Amino acid sequence: MRLDINALGTFYRMAREGAGLAAGRLTHMTGVETRVGVTKLNFMRGREIRRDLGDETGRVGINVELTGAIEGHSIVVFDREGAGKIVDALLAEADSTGELEADTEEFDRMSQSAVTEVGQVMNSGFVDGWADVLEAVIDVSTPTFVEGKSADPFMDDLTNAPGPNDFALLFRNQIETVDAEIEFDHYLFPEPDSMATLLEQLRMSDGIEYDKLDGFDRMAEQGAEEMAKTATTLTGIETSVEIRRLNFVSLEVIPEQVPDEKLVTVAFEFDGVPSGYLFFLFDEESATEIVDAMVPMSIEGDPFDEMGRSAITELGNIMASGFLDGWANVLDTTIDHSTPEFIHDIGTAAVDPIIVQLGETQEYAFVFDTLVVADGRAFDCEVYAIPDESDLERALNDLDVDRIEETPTTAEFQDIDHS
Amino acid sequence: MKTYGTEPGAPSSVQIGISELAVVDGDETLTSYGLGSCLAIALYDPEVGIGGLAHAMLPDGDAADNSDRKPGKYADTAIRALLRRMVEQGASYTDVEAKLAGGSDMFDFDNFGESVGKRNVMAAKAELEKLGVPIVAEDVGGDHGRTVNFTPQTGTLVVKTADDDERGVKRL
Repeated sequence: MRLDINALGTFYRMAREGAGLAAGRLTHMTGVETRVGVTKLNFMRGREIRRDLGDETGRVGINVELTGAIEGHSIVVFDREGAGKIVDALLAEADSTGELEADTEEFDRMSQSAVTEVGQVMNSGFVDGWADVLEAVIDVSTPTFVEGKSADPFMDDLTNAPGPNDFALLFRNQIETVDAEIEFDHYLFPEPDSMATLLEQLRMSDGIEYDKLDGFDRMAEQGAEEMAKTATTLTGIETSVEIRRLNFVSLEVIPEQVPDEKLVTVAFEFDGVPSGYLFFLFDEESATEIVDAMVPMSIEGDPFDEMGRSAITELGNIMASGFLDGWANVLDTTIDHSTPEFIHDIGTAAVDPIIVQLGETQEYAFVFDTLVVADGRAFDCEVYAIPDESDLERALNDLDVDRIEETPTTAEFQDIDHS
Repeated sequence: MKTYGTEPGAPSSVQIGISELAVVDGDETLTSYGLGSCLAIALYDPEVGIGGLAHAMLPDGDAADNSDRKPGKYADTAIRALLRRMVEQGASYTDVEAKLAGGSDMFDFDNFGESVGKRNVMAAKAELEKLGVPIVAEDVGGDHGRTVNFTPQTGTLVVKTADDDERGVKRL
């Protein structure tokens, strides 16, 4: 099974189109104003999917089986509280006396059937959107209501649930109400065979072997681990990798994920196979804490004066080296990076020039999206790596998948004197 | 970002994401967050209070093959799409005025070549001149981000930067 940008691009348009129809129908049904949030294609391992779906506060899902042009399962998931609110909105619409109230604790039969109805309307919205893009027929089974605090109830019904280490391609959508009180997640778990057939139909170039995607994940993993290690060495703050994702998205979506508040950004361009851009985003509190940890004298006034800037820039520099060394090791190549650029401005505005630059030659991007955190301290650093599309394809095609397991990491760093 | 189910006539804020555009009448506000090299193009007819905002990402849509599908992505095609929709809704072509904000160049990377922020601004100005639409105000270029709010009814374009104080807000 091989995939290429055209096939993934079509999948992406399907996901987006489906989300639009689903949101529109939800509004029509409940009278609640909705909008489509971030749409992503996610490459995830089974165990990560399980971690995502498991939530101690409990979640509710509506699962349908698909046959036809796509085979698999489509599941609309919301947290219990959100489900309760949507039921309230729906029952208020149906019963203007307002005497009926949804009981979110119990989820009585009426609430359950109301949630199922909403989920079903949304599922059919998604499916109709996909069918429109594919110009083909997809049939939908009757819905099943699932609820639970772990991933099991959501994944047990799947005929071909991805194993802990299996790589699955998921359609991920968020639909939110405009007052942002209710959010829905949507998952499509396609059957591997059905996916392979579709990819074959949609592919317009040689693309890459599906198994090489494993290389993506290794790159992401090694890059992230090296980066966190180097950050710890330099700052003395114990850091770890909290989230790591590999997404395929439309370029425009990338800035949408970045908070539109004032952030500290350190950005690089990198050169080699692949080339691309790498940037580190710190919220102001985290950046200040890092400056405190790195600059020996306590800072009065602006933490981002020359000394503060140079400390953060140096940290970015060393994290970039760690990250790209991790990649280079997996790909058995050399990747160089530019000198850092420091930007203290609206986060979105710092990301947009890079999107604009890439936009001249590509419409979509693979984004390696990582969150580094520290225990009990403010050290939240979002890391985005966006390789140039054609370079990445070349790099992955050159990759020897069997080699990856044994790859050692070789980055070495000097100790910094914190005294 | 597309919003579904907005009540007609109710004052509200519509978010215009990258490559999107929208035309409204009434006192609705159109918002684009965190423009860097992207360009906000605001067109309005002051006589009838109809106007629109585009959040363009690249200069030249005529040279791209997806500009039919995404007219808002490119400065030139965005301007034409805004004008057409405004005229459809009752604006008068000859009364339309333009305001521009954005088009910064924040990085100095080797691969960036000729700055794309500047090219976005130039492309928009060239297209507006070709169509005979006067630019009545602008806040473009530099090396900082901007967030804009545009209210077509009054024609006011509020440009905010990351500075918290008064200096961070301009009303065009």
